[in-house]
Amino acid sequence: MRLPRLFRTTPFRLTLLFLALFAAAASAFLAYIYLATAGEATRRTDQNITREMRSLVAAYDRAGVDAVNQSLIERAASERPFLYLLMKPDGSRISGSIAETPIEDAGAAVGVSTRASFSVTDDDGQGRLVKHPARGIQERLSGGEILFVGADISEDQAYVVKITRALWGAGALVVVLGLAGGLLVSRNVSRSMGALNDVVAAVRNGDFDARAAVRGARDEFDELSEGINEMLDRLQRSMAGHRHAGDAIAHDLRSPLTRLRARLETAYLDVEAGKGDAEEALAQALDDTDGVLKTFSAVLAIARLQAAGQAPDQALFDPAELAADLAELYEPTCEDKGLEFGAEFAKNLQVRGNREFLAQALANLLDNAVKYTPSGGAIMLRVRRRSSGEIEFSVTDTGPGVPDEDRARVVERFVRLENSRSEPGSGLGLSLVAAVAEAHGGRLELSEGPGKVGEMGPGLRVALILPRAA
Amino acid sequence: MRILIVEDDLEAAEVMDRGLTEAGHQCVRASDGEAGLSAAQAGEFDVMIVDRMMPRMDGVSMVQALRREGDQTPVLFLSALGEINDRVEGLKAGGDDYLVKPYAFVELIARVEALSRRRETGSVQTLLRVGELEMDLIARTVHRQGKEIDLQPREFQLLEFMMRHAGQSVTRTMLLEKVWEYHFDPQTNVIDVHVSRLRSKIDKGFDRAMLQTVRGAGYRLDP
Repeated sequence: MRLPRLFRTTPFRLTLLFLALFAAAASAFLAYIYLATAGEATRRTDQNITREMRSLVAAYDRAGVDAVNQSLIERAASERPFLYLLMKPDGSRISGSIAETPIEDAGAAVGVSTRASFSVTDDDGQGRLVKHPARGIQERLSGGEILFVGADISEDQAYVVKITRALWGAGALVVVLGLAGGLLVSRNVSRSMGALNDVVAAVRNGDFDARAAVRGARDEFDELSEGINEMLDRLQRSMAGHRHAGDAIAHDLRSPLTRLRARLETAYLDVEAGKGDAEEALAQALDDTDGVLKTFSAVLAIARLQAAGQAPDQALFDPAELAADLAELYEPTCEDKGLEFGAEFAKNLQVRGNREFLAQALANLLDNAVKYTPSGGAIMLRVRRRSSGEIEFSVTDTGPGVPDEDRARVVERFVRLENSRSEPGSGLGLSLVAAVAEAHGGRLELSEGPGKVGEMGPGLRVALILPRAA
Repeated sequence: MRILIVEDDLEAAEVMDRGLTEAGHQCVRASDGEAGLSAAQAGEFDVMIVDRMMPRMDGVSMVQALRREGDQTPVLFLSALGEINDRVEGLKAGGDDYLVKPYAFVELIARVEALSRRRETGSVQTLLRVGELEMDLIARTVHRQGKEIDLQPREFQLLEFMMRHAGQSVTRTMLLEKVWEYHFDPQTNVIDVHVSRLRSKIDKGFDRAMLQTVRGAGYRLDP
């Protein structure tokens, strides 16, 4: 038989386990209380009968057996809660409130007392005989007579029984309340778990938009829900990235391949008609193919970075060192083109990233600057730490710049502004830089360069901003 | 030079074979990793060109098996996987160079010839000599016809690489990879400018130019 769902939940099982442990502890506690109280009652009774015995023995020693006899008769008639029996040395009764002694010790020596538990028979006032538990002490007096003093302990016992019953009751109450509480908590927890399970099931069935509800209690369920939601967000982004990458590659390669095919076809027709130069056509086709391959590599790199969400193999390094490396690589080219090349690198900075990707990003920025800055202009490569702690690589040129309204657009793939179409390039350079920035949790900022100076300017300043290295 | 080509794309292998044979090399072909492994075990080769992804046994496993047997023949990996990680993995497995598909044939042949040369420089050299050019790797000095040539550190590295591969074509990509250690493709002629600076330092004022431009391929340092 399967248990109802609620009884199979972890919190409920934990509740049961807890209750079992509690019951064991409560039993031990009860046993201790019982022993302590019951023992205490016996001990007190023993003390009382001993005191009574001592006072009677003292009376005997002072005034002899008759005085004790007298005293016994008086005491038995009073409200004292004791049982008395005075016997001759042979054990036959002289006087007292009971018929015979429950303690057999005919041979006991003078002054030696013997204790015992026994029961006295009494009627309960309705003619029925009841046995009461009792404690007694018996001693041989110096004249040979035997004195017995006892006490009914049924009242003490009843007290102990009452305590025990109260404890059992409390125990039962705890179990019932614990069980109820456990059920309540289990229901609450399993409702939360059920909500999470529903989300997981929905996602498993392909609904990637499902999200777990965050109740705002800031407990571990909220934490788990937030974690699951974040994971799903990331998964969704990544899947969208992959899908986007596939679409993009297909789209981005179609146009250059179409162009290549058209050229080859034209060349083929020309050569067939005896008009064109086959060698030249082939060289052109090879060049075009290289162009397609470059585009392909760039698109793939961008798509992979976007799909991965994060650049692989990140390490801590000094950004100035990287910038210096690239400055060294590009400086001669600038000089050759009649561009002034400046560099400003802040010292002792640390950045976390993929060195190769960042190098490529900077190379793309420098490529652009070299391509678009006319001879006589200047290019500046800077590395600095922003007041926010972010690390900023920037390339500033004195070229024509990018109008404000086009700045967001040039980062998109294949966007080339009208006046740049004559320059070689795929239109993917800045897109790759932006993808690299994003893959490092950073961003790309385009702004105006140093402004218009004569024929020059206003220039462009492109900043690659990376988060502070944690 | 004896070259083992291990490539499952038969057409690509055929093209490689033809090109390398025309360049004066002897080629043996194998079409999967297992065949490649037995071919490599059976014969002596100067260089192996190994495709990474092949049926039966992939290129990385094949090269690892060879390296375990102590075979140190230089290996050039060919791969469609061009990510940095893939490259690092290939080199860790015992590859000596890594070329991403598709490649230009001049690039392949330049790299293959560069690898064969690598093997000969087993002992640690402190002095390189190519024709009139002398490079002291300890003192970091360069002389041509006894005249000292002052080079920047990077120019020195560039010349060292060219001297180690004297008489062979080296491509721009090879220079960027081996001298600057970058694996991207600059859109401007940065490498050409560096080479032409080096050329002006080692060739200017001498009767003969040693640093040659190889059309469609790259550069070559002639003795």
